[in-house]
Amino acid sequence: MSLVQQSNASNSGGGSGNLYDVLELILDRGLVIDAFVRVSLVGIEILKIDVRVVVASVDTYLRFAEACNRLDLESGRKAPAQLTDIVGDTVESGAKGKSKGALTGAVEAFTESLQGGRDDSDDKEKEKRPARKTSASSSSRRTAQREE
Amino acid sequence: MPTYIYAITAADHPLRLDGLSGVGEPASDLRTVKTAELGAVVSDTPAELRAKRRDLVAHQSVLERLMADGAALPMRFGLVGPDDDQVRAALEQGKDSYTTRLSELDGRLEYNVKVSREEESLLREILTESQEARRLSEYTRQNPGAQDQKMALGELVSREIQARQEAVGKEVAATLAGAAERVSEGEPTKTHFLNVSYLVRRDQASAFSQAVHEEAERRGDDYTFALNGPLPPYSFV
Repeated sequence: MSLVQQSNASNSGGGSGNLYDVLELILDRGLVIDAFVRVSLVGIEILKIDVRVVVASVDTYLRFAEACNRLDLESGRKAPAQLTDIVGDTVESGAKGKSKGALTGAVEAFTESLQGGRDDSDDKEKEKRPARKTSASSSSRRTAQREE
Repeated sequence: MPTYIYAITAADHPLRLDGLSGVGEPASDLRTVKTAELGAVVSDTPAELRAKRRDLVAHQSVLERLMADGAALPMRFGLVGPDDDQVRAALEQGKDSYTTRLSELDGRLEYNVKVSREEESLLREILTESQEARRLSEYTRQNPGAQDQKMALGELVSREIQARQEAVGKEVAATLAGAAERVSEGEPTKTHFLNVSYLVRRDQASAFSQAVHEEAERRGDDYTFALNGPLPPYSFV
């Protein structure tokens, strides 16, 4: 599992650490007084669009289709792909999970031998993975508690 | 000069605002407007108020401070009244409703939970379970020019994603609701299929956090849970 817990101790007076995650609460929720206005805020719409979900579009459909095609290609090597996931995660959070050292070593060796025949598209996948996973470490139970 | 409003509190709230400042650049000074029963934390409104990071932080910081010392109704960012007198008049006019809401929120805090699922594992699941998705994917892989089938695949996958995430989202939301007093569902975001706020009693906070941990553990590695809180009860005013 992975859980990122962000708790804002109120004595910090900061509240900026998790601002992005609570942006829609500050901008869209909260009490209004009917007779009063909300000043028109330049930039607020942009902030909101950035957060909002983009559901059905041609682009999304094509992206999904291509992602499926890629997975299809990999399907014969499903097991190695999953092992690679695990190794990627473990390496990233390696400093935090020393107790996993032995296991990691074993998995790494195993994966290396399996990866011998992987093609280019797999390598690209692998390169992308660390960037995509930076905010989430999932191979071990981890609670990142940020106070800022 | 228009008056920017941060929060409404009961008159006996300590309103400890030392070290904090308001929105604007340079930062505005915070002050309070009071009636017999209620108080409001306000400042001057900057000439050109933007939703800049520092302004959002200023707004949020005031609310977090107030929240530490008692119940406060957080205002939406950017709410402005004509002047202090009219803020006072609004407090008088809404007295009953504000007082009720303050007592309902006393000793309670908001926690926001966002959940995402790794896309690859979800696509894999769909390809495994849907024969039609497999067929279309196989076909379009072998016929890269087949735009219609590509769109059909994408649409099918999109529908499947939505259905699956909704189903899981409902389960997760319901499980966590057990540890909370009230629930407010937010819109999903680009990355999170579930975005829910919970109103939790202070003395239940660790039980709630525990429930989130357990649910995250139960869902496994493909899911990422983000728990934000305690927050001012934006979603419950």
